[in-house]
Amino acid sequence: MRALIAASLLACASLGAVAPPAAAQSGDDIFPFETRRFELDNGLRAYLIHAGSPGMLAYASVVRTGARDEVEAGVTGFAHFFEHMMFRGTAKYPNYDAVSESFGANRNANTSQDRTFYYLVAGSQYLEKIVDLESDRFQNLSYGEPVFRTEAGAILGEYQQGAYSAFSILDRAVRETIFTEHPYRHQVIGFEADVRAMPQQYQYSLDFFRRFYRPENVVLVVVGDFDFDKAEALIRQSYSGWAPGYQAPAVPAEPAQTKPRTAAVTYSGRTLPMLALNWIAPAWSATDRTAVALEILGDIAFGPNSAMYRKLVIEQQRLQSLQAGFGLSRDPDFVQVMAMVSNPADVQAIEAELLAEVERFKNEPVDEKMLADTKSAARYGFLMGLETHLGVAGAVSRAIINTGEMEPINDYYRTLQSLTADDLREAARQILTEGRRTIVTLTQAGG
Amino acid sequence: MITHRRMGATRLALLSSLALASLLYGCGGGETIALEEKGSPFIAFDIWVKAGSQNDPEGKEGLASLTAQLLADGSTQQDTYQQIIEKLYPMAAGYGASVDKEMTVFRGTVHVDNLEGYYGLLKNALLTPAFSQADFDRIKSQTLNYLERQRRYNRDEELSKELLYWMAYQGTPYQHPEEGYVQSVKSITLDDVKAFYDTYYVANNIVTAVGGGFPGGFPQRVRADFDTRPKGRVEKVPAPELEELDRVRILIVEKETDATSISLGFPTELIRGKGDFYAMKLVNAWFGDHRNSFSHLYQVIREKRGMNYGDYSYIEPFPLGYTTQDRPVNVSRRSNLFEIWIRPVGQTWVGDLHPRALFAARAALRELARLTANGLPESEIDRTKVFLSDYSLNYGSTVSRRLAYAVDDAFYGLSGPSGYLAAIRPELAKLTKKDVDGAIEKHLKSPGMYMVFVTRDGEALKKLILSGKATPNTYSGEVLLSLVSEDQQIASWPIVVQGDDIRVMDISEVFESR
Repeated sequence: MRALIAASLLACASLGAVAPPAAAQSGDDIFPFETRRFELDNGLRAYLIHAGSPGMLAYASVVRTGARDEVEAGVTGFAHFFEHMMFRGTAKYPNYDAVSESFGANRNANTSQDRTFYYLVAGSQYLEKIVDLESDRFQNLSYGEPVFRTEAGAILGEYQQGAYSAFSILDRAVRETIFTEHPYRHQVIGFEADVRAMPQQYQYSLDFFRRFYRPENVVLVVVGDFDFDKAEALIRQSYSGWAPGYQAPAVPAEPAQTKPRTAAVTYSGRTLPMLALNWIAPAWSATDRTAVALEILGDIAFGPNSAMYRKLVIEQQRLQSLQAGFGLSRDPDFVQVMAMVSNPADVQAIEAELLAEVERFKNEPVDEKMLADTKSAARYGFLMGLETHLGVAGAVSRAIINTGEMEPINDYYRTLQSLTADDLREAARQILTEGRRTIVTLTQAGG
Repeated sequence: MITHRRMGATRLALLSSLALASLLYGCGGGETIALEEKGSPFIAFDIWVKAGSQNDPEGKEGLASLTAQLLADGSTQQDTYQQIIEKLYPMAAGYGASVDKEMTVFRGTVHVDNLEGYYGLLKNALLTPAFSQADFDRIKSQTLNYLERQRRYNRDEELSKELLYWMAYQGTPYQHPEEGYVQSVKSITLDDVKAFYDTYYVANNIVTAVGGGFPGGFPQRVRADFDTRPKGRVEKVPAPELEELDRVRILIVEKETDATSISLGFPTELIRGKGDFYAMKLVNAWFGDHRNSFSHLYQVIREKRGMNYGDYSYIEPFPLGYTTQDRPVNVSRRSNLFEIWIRPVGQTWVGDLHPRALFAARAALRELARLTANGLPESEIDRTKVFLSDYSLNYGSTVSRRLAYAVDDAFYGLSGPSGYLAAIRPELAKLTKKDVDGAIEKHLKSPGMYMVFVTRDGEALKKLILSGKATPNTYSGEVLLSLVSEDQQIASWPIVVQGDDIRVMDISEVFESR
């Protein structure tokens, strides 16, 4: 409530010579900054990007491993757990935190379904030290079992600070209803039983590092004010000795869903009913018109500027909130419309209205002005995300997560800008079908 | 979904050459702050209304917040709310309101291509609101849903912080949460909102701040627009005057949960930029820098013992700290607490929920006592200077944030080289051990402490605290030998408190009414 509400916020470029005007793309590429790509013999890829404020840089390591790679039983949440262990030092630098603190670096990491993202933001004068520190921990991480067990306690604490909200409980129910085989069945943090058993998994953690933390599975993104030649030389020198050997996990494909599913869960605290409509969707693509069209269809049909939002949230006030989450993932994942219903007796009627709206988008072409405005919003949204070094790294990492390369980000926006009303209607017809649908409701226990 | 190792998503980076804001004065009497960054494709706004929740009338707590939300999220005389959304949509821009104890700000950023269309909407929202009954009903309903359900059930650690302020500021205008109480918000009418707007949204009470690559004369134009508001006389609310806390006072909020959220604190006299502020900034960064492994408390409770997700301390308010690593802006106040945030501590075995919570709280109290007894060694002062000098470059990572810091400077009467972002590094460099230890002595030696626990079975925790029994930690793995002796000291660290000073409250009563 205290946070800034309303639509998307924040933006801006920086001072001085390094930042070009955000609109000055070359050709029809949306990405505006000078970039160099190179690849080492061991498969490590690196992107160097000139952007952001003078004297600073962001150094990001994108590991293309996340919760989707947790295919064995009993080890859900491990990609995220392992992210924590990466801060536990090496023989050369036993105290990673102390070293990075001495640069005054803002450093952290986060884990999603499809990747683990490590970063430091610091003064450009620390580039050499940062390359040394980061290349060392990715190749020579070393920790004992007692430290491993201690960190497992912190993970349980992390689980507990977020696990008990109504939203989190609904999310778990949605995943467990949609997926039977694919690891998207579990949240990134993992199943609680697995989180509690983590202290026993020391040996597995060593295997995890050996299998996944390999150069072919990692992409470096360095953004900021620095010399390309010097950075490339440092990276080549520090990472070339890293032995390849990535073992891709056998991620099980989810059996095709053919019939609609439903589920209902209750919440022991107080909440208004929440209704989640979900459809299993294709994997992310930069060029597949149906996939890209589906991603913007969510906003058009159920976002704050949609007819449904106007009717149910603003005019009739039958919903407290209405949101669309139509972003796609590396593997087929679900897209979602989420509504919080003001009157518990109204849930079924709301569900019927939302489903009728889906049918309308299968039959009627989307309004041309709405389509044009959505393209504009996508373009400005992207450009306004490029204000900071880390924002730039995050913007390109979407393509990197899914493809291993950043170039598709330009293809993606080209596809998006070329979409027609027919593409959107086709996406609705192909994906928002009854056979792909799962509806989950959450209500307060005891009514 | 993304989980974070140590903090929320950040939008970082910054900024070595710091532009200084210039303070201009409009002929209508209202102030303007202009932070020009030539060549930037973005323009940020920070419209500061000098009123906050401290200005809420008794029984109408939450009025400042509801007023601001209605303006940010409602119709204008020119456009319905839906039309506003429709116009903002292609710009990927928006504006929003934030209300703290003393200040209300409306913030937003837009690409220069869209400046005219955007500014027109922002201006109308603040100068010609429609005060539509339908908008009011929608926002009030959403607020009540938050107060009755989400605030109580979604995030215990944020709740424990709100309760700490509620305890410490009893009887002052800072006492109530910005969003108000359930009953007070229920009593607020649209006429109340209009009256609040008429009283406080007057030309001489609004500061217009603009930053980024704006065209020539733009800040003056914004000022002139806001000077069309009538002038008015605004009564100044006296700053809270808190007496020194002479004993431990505990609030236990009872609810079904598997982990205990803990907040501790006491009043200080520290104000940004004044007196020992920078010395205490250094001390606090060492003791508990927000969501940073540099924090000593983090090292003791999380890193060595794996008890929870993190442990930090504060000399200025930090609402919504679980969402972000970025320092909050526009929460300037004339009174502050020293505050310790211990993130939820769960149970590892049946029956150890309360002992572990008390162990973590005792560990924090013990570390604070050690700090006040020993001061900080020279080597730690130097290490903190090195860290904080560079790390603080991250604070103003966007033009919106830099502008907001300039507004906060105006609140505190700081400007030019004494402005916060400009002053941090030189002020840190100047500090001596004498300065640092003197500040610790003066500001951290409190005979009393407010303590808040949100946990299961409150009476049992109360009994355990009053028994004075040691509460050893339990580990999910083996106990590290190196910790055994220290753990014994922590487990029996005294919490001296009288039974009358421990209150147990059910979650359903929390923030129901004054």
